[in-house]
Amino acid sequence: MSLLRQAFLLARTDLRQELRDFEMAVTAVFFTFTVLIMFVLAFATLRPDAQSHAIPAFLWITVALTGALTLGRVFDRERETDALSALLVAPVERLAIYAAKLLTTMSVLLMCCIVVVPGLVVVFAGARPLLDRWPASLVLVFLGCLGYAGVGTLFAGGLARGRGKNVLLSLILYPLTMPVLLYALVATQRLLENHPDLWQTLLQMAALDVLLVVVAALLFESLMLESRRYSVPRKEVS
Amino acid sequence: MSYVADPESSILPLELRGIARAFGRRSILRGVDLRVGRGEIVGLMGANGAGKTTLFSIIAGLLCADGGTCRFADTDLEAGAVAIRARLAYVAHGPQLYPLLTARENLELAAQLRDAAGASSREAGGMLERLGLAAHADRRIEAFSRGMAQRASLARALAAAPELMLLDEPLTALDRDGQALVAEIMREERDRGAGIVLCSHDLETVLSVSDRVVLLEHGVISGEVRARECVDLHEYRRLVTNLGTVVSTRRVGAVRQMA
Repeated sequence: MSLLRQAFLLARTDLRQELRDFEMAVTAVFFTFTVLIMFVLAFATLRPDAQSHAIPAFLWITVALTGALTLGRVFDRERETDALSALLVAPVERLAIYAAKLLTTMSVLLMCCIVVVPGLVVVFAGARPLLDRWPASLVLVFLGCLGYAGVGTLFAGGLARGRGKNVLLSLILYPLTMPVLLYALVATQRLLENHPDLWQTLLQMAALDVLLVVVAALLFESLMLESRRYSVPRKEVS
Repeated sequence: MSYVADPESSILPLELRGIARAFGRRSILRGVDLRVGRGEIVGLMGANGAGKTTLFSIIAGLLCADGGTCRFADTDLEAGAVAIRARLAYVAHGPQLYPLLTARENLELAAQLRDAAGASSREAGGMLERLGLAAHADRRIEAFSRGMAQRASLARALAAAPELMLLDEPLTALDRDGQALVAEIMREERDRGAGIVLCSHDLETVLSVSDRVVLLEHGVISGEVRARECVDLHEYRRLVTNLGTVVSTRRVGAVRQMA
């Protein structure tokens, strides 16, 4: 209970701050719009059957790029004033920090999906099944974002203090999230084709997500602390 | 001097033995030994880059030591358990507060997190009032001056009613009234039974509140002066001033003999 309550308190703090400056949400949503417009300009003239092969890539490339952008900033508020150090010294379960940041990242990614999925449906006729089979679409988007954010939050926390974190994050993030993204691509393709194994694929994806989130949660404390413990302490900035 | 805390006889909240730490080939701490008793304020002095912040980071569990042991209330601090962290507070050089939250929200968040961990806290409003921030409690930290943010940070630490306080230059950016207030609060906390390690370059304040002053130099505690061993405040000031300016081990030895 202590862990859940602390995770809730920290996630609520993130949300409260986000509602005061909309920094992450506005950046992520505008970025999503931009990517969507670029896809439209480049691929609107594709035949519908060709579109249905490209749409999974449009969706998950957008999630991957927006996710990287969000993960690069998710610890920024703590980093600017080193509030993360205060959290680490306080009687706070490190797992609660991970859970709160995972929740924040998920919220931003799902918000972007609310923009990009209807956007794809409006612009590309081949994306119409995403709307027609909306329960499966909801599950797919949730699972894809969860796996991506689960792995990403682990490394965002580990790199929260280092210089060049965005470069390192991208180098680590994309290879490690490839299994989730590949599963998401296959599941999206099956959803568009109304494939009979769609739900089985989603189930496998859920199992992969559980595995990734559990491993990430177990590694979070040691990765975040060790990366700090072996770095030079800095005098904080005001 | 009226306060005569004795780290030898008190139950020790903090005991460091042979703490060593290097960054690459550069050795910062080479075996620091330090004991801090309950109800004792220890002033930690040293030149810039002497390793004071590194030492504090190790005690707070933010850095690991390459060697030595760091125990708090008979528990190894390396373990970093929640129950142990609930009993200490660290006020760093910067405020470490959420800038978009108000001072009250920052303190309430810390209190709620402690409450979730089963630790009690003092009331946020009262702490902010004690630090002279009652009128600014509902302003965001980003609108605070550096000194006000430092006061808010101290208020958050005090709200935890810690058994051990690590204060890394807590007087930074405070005006004279603020410095006097913080000194007064430190004495109150000591009288309550808290052990305090105070690092500051403000010699006057360190002298006025510390039961003893230790010098961190070349990675070790190279000298120490205890307030109670001095005849009067003038002698104490003279000894510590000498301690703070010594550069050679031989002179430290001389100061030790003087003390």
